[in-house]
Amino acid sequence: MTVMKTSMRNFFAHKGRMALSAIAVLLSVGFVCGTLVFTDTMNTTFDKLFAATSSDVTVSAKGASDTGETTSDNGKPPVMPASVVGRVKSAQGVKAAEGTVFSTSVTVVDAKKDNLSPSSGAPTIVGSWNGNDARTMKITSGAAPKGSDQVMVDADTADKHHLKLGDTLAMISAVGTHDAKISGIASFQVTNPGAAIFYLDTRTAQQTLVGKTGVFTNVNVTAASGVSDARLKQNVVSALGGHYKVQTAKETADANQKSVESFMNVMKYAMLGFAGIAFVVGIFLIINTFSMLVAQRTREIGLMRAIGSSRKQVNRSVLAEALLLGVTGSVLGIGAGVGLAVGLMKLMGQMGMHLSTADLTVAWTTPVVGLVLGVVVTVLAAYLPARRAGKVSPMAALRDAGAPADAKAGVVRAVLGTLLTAGGGFCLYLAASADKATGGSLWLGLGVVLSLIGFVVIGPLLAGGVVRVLGAVLLRAFGPVGRMAERNALRNPRRTGATGAALMIGLALVACLSVVGSSMVASATDQLDKTVGTDFIIQSDGGQMITPQAVRAVKATPGLKRVTEYKTTEADYTTPDGRTLKNTDITAADPTYATDLRVKTVAGNLKDAYLPDSMSVHENFAKAHDVHLGSKIRIAFKDGATANLTVRAITSNDGLIDAGAKYTSIATLAKYVPADKMPLDQLVFATAKDGQQDAAYKSLKSALHDYPQYKVRDQTDYKKALKDQIGQLLNMIYGLLALAIIVAILGVVNTLALSVVERTREIGLMRAIGLSRRQMRRMIRMESVVIALFGALLGLGLGMGWGATAQKLLALQGLKVLEVPWSTLITVFVGSAVVGLVAALIPAFRAGRMNVLNAIATE
Amino acid sequence: MTSAVTIPRHGGTGGRTAVAARARQVVKAYGAGETRVVALDHVDVDIARGQFTAIMGPSGSGKSTLMHCLAGLDTVTSGQIYLDDTEITGLKDKKLTQLRRDRIGFIFQAFNLLPTLNAIENITLPMDIAGRKPDRQWLARVVDTVGLADRLKHRPTQLSGGQQQRVAVARALAARPEIIFGDEPTGNLDSRAGAEVLGFLRQSVDELGQTIVIVTHDPVAASYADRVLYLADGRIVDEMYKPTAEAVLDRMLCFSGGHPQTPDFDARGRTS
Repeated sequence: MTVMKTSMRNFFAHKGRMALSAIAVLLSVGFVCGTLVFTDTMNTTFDKLFAATSSDVTVSAKGASDTGETTSDNGKPPVMPASVVGRVKSAQGVKAAEGTVFSTSVTVVDAKKDNLSPSSGAPTIVGSWNGNDARTMKITSGAAPKGSDQVMVDADTADKHHLKLGDTLAMISAVGTHDAKISGIASFQVTNPGAAIFYLDTRTAQQTLVGKTGVFTNVNVTAASGVSDARLKQNVVSALGGHYKVQTAKETADANQKSVESFMNVMKYAMLGFAGIAFVVGIFLIINTFSMLVAQRTREIGLMRAIGSSRKQVNRSVLAEALLLGVTGSVLGIGAGVGLAVGLMKLMGQMGMHLSTADLTVAWTTPVVGLVLGVVVTVLAAYLPARRAGKVSPMAALRDAGAPADAKAGVVRAVLGTLLTAGGGFCLYLAASADKATGGSLWLGLGVVLSLIGFVVIGPLLAGGVVRVLGAVLLRAFGPVGRMAERNALRNPRRTGATGAALMIGLALVACLSVVGSSMVASATDQLDKTVGTDFIIQSDGGQMITPQAVRAVKATPGLKRVTEYKTTEADYTTPDGRTLKNTDITAADPTYATDLRVKTVAGNLKDAYLPDSMSVHENFAKAHDVHLGSKIRIAFKDGATANLTVRAITSNDGLIDAGAKYTSIATLAKYVPADKMPLDQLVFATAKDGQQDAAYKSLKSALHDYPQYKVRDQTDYKKALKDQIGQLLNMIYGLLALAIIVAILGVVNTLALSVVERTREIGLMRAIGLSRRQMRRMIRMESVVIALFGALLGLGLGMGWGATAQKLLALQGLKVLEVPWSTLITVFVGSAVVGLVAALIPAFRAGRMNVLNAIATE
Repeated sequence: MTSAVTIPRHGGTGGRTAVAARARQVVKAYGAGETRVVALDHVDVDIARGQFTAIMGPSGSGKSTLMHCLAGLDTVTSGQIYLDDTEITGLKDKKLTQLRRDRIGFIFQAFNLLPTLNAIENITLPMDIAGRKPDRQWLARVVDTVGLADRLKHRPTQLSGGQQQRVAVARALAARPEIIFGDEPTGNLDSRAGAEVLGFLRQSVDELGQTIVIVTHDPVAASYADRVLYLADGRIVDEMYKPTAEAVLDRMLCFSGGHPQTPDFDARGRTS
């Protein structure tokens, strides 16, 4: 009990010294809990949405997806004849059945041709206004659509785009473009996470979305009272036979939930990964804090030992303090996590995804996970310092007080660190020289982990050399103050090493990713220059297909030499080795594509792949399935007939663009797939007549003005888009890594603040013999800068090594060019110096303010 | 500020007042109202230039406070303190720091040296901070006097307690301050090492004309001084010129009710 009491007293006596460690725990736990609460809340929102919007039983066409999204390549939803409704009604236990039509392959634009689709990635849905929707939507102004010139829009979309009754909208589908005026605005009765929804009357919906009347995409079936959904489903299935997809409300909701969940899980685990990095960085901070507290308390611990405390008791008292710290930090972190989740929801709201705080879901597991993680990590981190405290000899109580003796880095550390680093380096070397990406990535992973641990272990030894060099370059100019700052940074290499290592981890990842990212941009640019022989690429950013009317508009543009259409679809392959590959991609393009993209071949000529009943495969595929020039592959096209295609070219793997594609001609595809099932174009390439590029670019842009969902890009635009895309991704990752870096900065502040306390007497002495406040502050700032730069140098070096290795490894997959983003790296380095200055602000201020007399007073 | 190059500027009176530091009606009080504690009660004192002064008194007599105030380390509640002709009471921190750096030397009881700097770096630190170049000849003489020539590259942890205090003395002397203050400079040393350090201080007064003020409760240490001031309850109650250890001890017994605080009292007296 005394142990606990001492721990409690120590903990509260050193509140300030513990504060930064607590914040580190708080941040990490907060991030974990925030992620969990946020994803749980998203799930709840979608659960409610799906539960509310699905009818008891839904009947849809055989080819429809479980979730109801339109995935057909031809841009039209799969439909069934209207007679199905009658047959459903005749089934037992059916109270009502209503046929509906809807499609998610539609783009809706306003009168100014601005795209009304959500930018968040949520779908745009155009459908018939039906009883099921009437249950979940409330018409807030105007009336439901009636007749072909009316459309009703959801209130969120109307607000966002300032739409009013009477405004004209155009719906662009694979069938054509349909204009209608807004007749009404309806708002959701449950939280809508962001889909834009437009309603037409049934007949108009059929014509606009499918191109003919008398068909439905869904039949919503309502059960008579006392009939369960499962029972109803059975009845409906027996009434219809097996030709249709029949799902209960629960099945529909589950299918939807599953598709949302898989996306959510990616996000969840990515965020938890970054929280994990922050935890690792936090460990360094906690180790440093406890090491310093134990060192400062050596005399006290010696006294405890002298009067009879056992090693175990001393050890336990330190761990008990860690436990208190862990609990405090975690509890605060759980609260912060809920706050973070609410903040994220607000942020999502800004981006067009509406989430309601009423749905805020804190599962019981969330606080438990947060608390356990926070406490376990804290206690584990404090274990080493606690053990060291246990080893303090009773003699320590008798020794002279003063600054704790400088810790010397040991030989074991040197040997272990060198071995680990060398091992890591060797793994990286193996990864760089691997000729297979799969084996290489394993080496890369191992190399990254080993070299990181190696650097952490050897850090205190490197601190000596690196700090001296930094000191010689940066600090000597500041005379004795600089010299003292350098010596202070050197006096406890373990501390400097651990503080720097914390910063190193985050910055190593930043450096590695920036190297890989800029290499990706450089490699892709290089490839584009070498292989693309066309001027303009037309595609949508949301992945929508290009409607025939838009393709016609492109083809009608003056100044173009040629236009190449590019479609992808799926087929079941039966290869010469006798195996069947289900749902495998096949790319159909005009023969001119061979000119538009100069793909290297290892055998045959790519132009020949566009001959009738011909195709090409890529090198890996050929190897894996025993395919040679002249081999025949049986291709069963989705929605079409089966063909026997002859392989007339084998493309090289050597390329980033369209890597692994298997080509055939559109003409061949058209032979086997009926016209109304033909997939729409995914991409369209346009090449201008010589010398008319600029004019053609302008004409193309204006030709596609009515179709804002499609972008025309020349090569410059395309490269820029690519660069922006990678840049955005990197920025997002940097944003998440910022958490780890902030924790590392707290670590620098912490180390300095505790050092200042530890050096109270030294500071007093220096002030007494004439060091001014300003010089004192400068000294501490410089020490901080040197520590930060030490971490930055190690991190950037390590990260560049990782990045370069990753590039060498990925060179196998087309990442041919290594580009080191010097400007980014230098910015990070200089930024670290600034971080050092900022971290020193408070410790320096406190050192400057320290009372000289207190500092020199004898005990 | 010196008139002759060959004579150290603090040597003799050198055209300056014979008083190196003065306190006039100095009061130092802590707290207010009922909890008010007066550490110094209207103290008047003159510290003669080129002399070795020891301030003695029982615990809580205010001797350390007086020294801290004279040295510009602490502020006074009322009264004035002059260093030579400069009134230091009321100076801002910046000026006070400069004054300590350029005109005052310090020797503390313990923890006199920065552990990160070696002996010679510690010795020249005040001048380094000020951005002044040390006078090589003078420095060599000081180092020689305190007998540290072969220890200059050693870190404090590699030196014995006595050696560390000698480095501290060298540091105080090296910058040629107008006055050196010592706060129990031999309090942590055994009698032999203490005698050595005191010997150097004496020598620097006799040979170099240095002005030195130390606070001590050790009659032996006080016996090295030219003059001993006795403080009790924040007032100067007595003084003695040319003291001997025995005389000091006798006088102290009168002031501390027969319980002198002389834990390491050593009657062997001077050894130099």
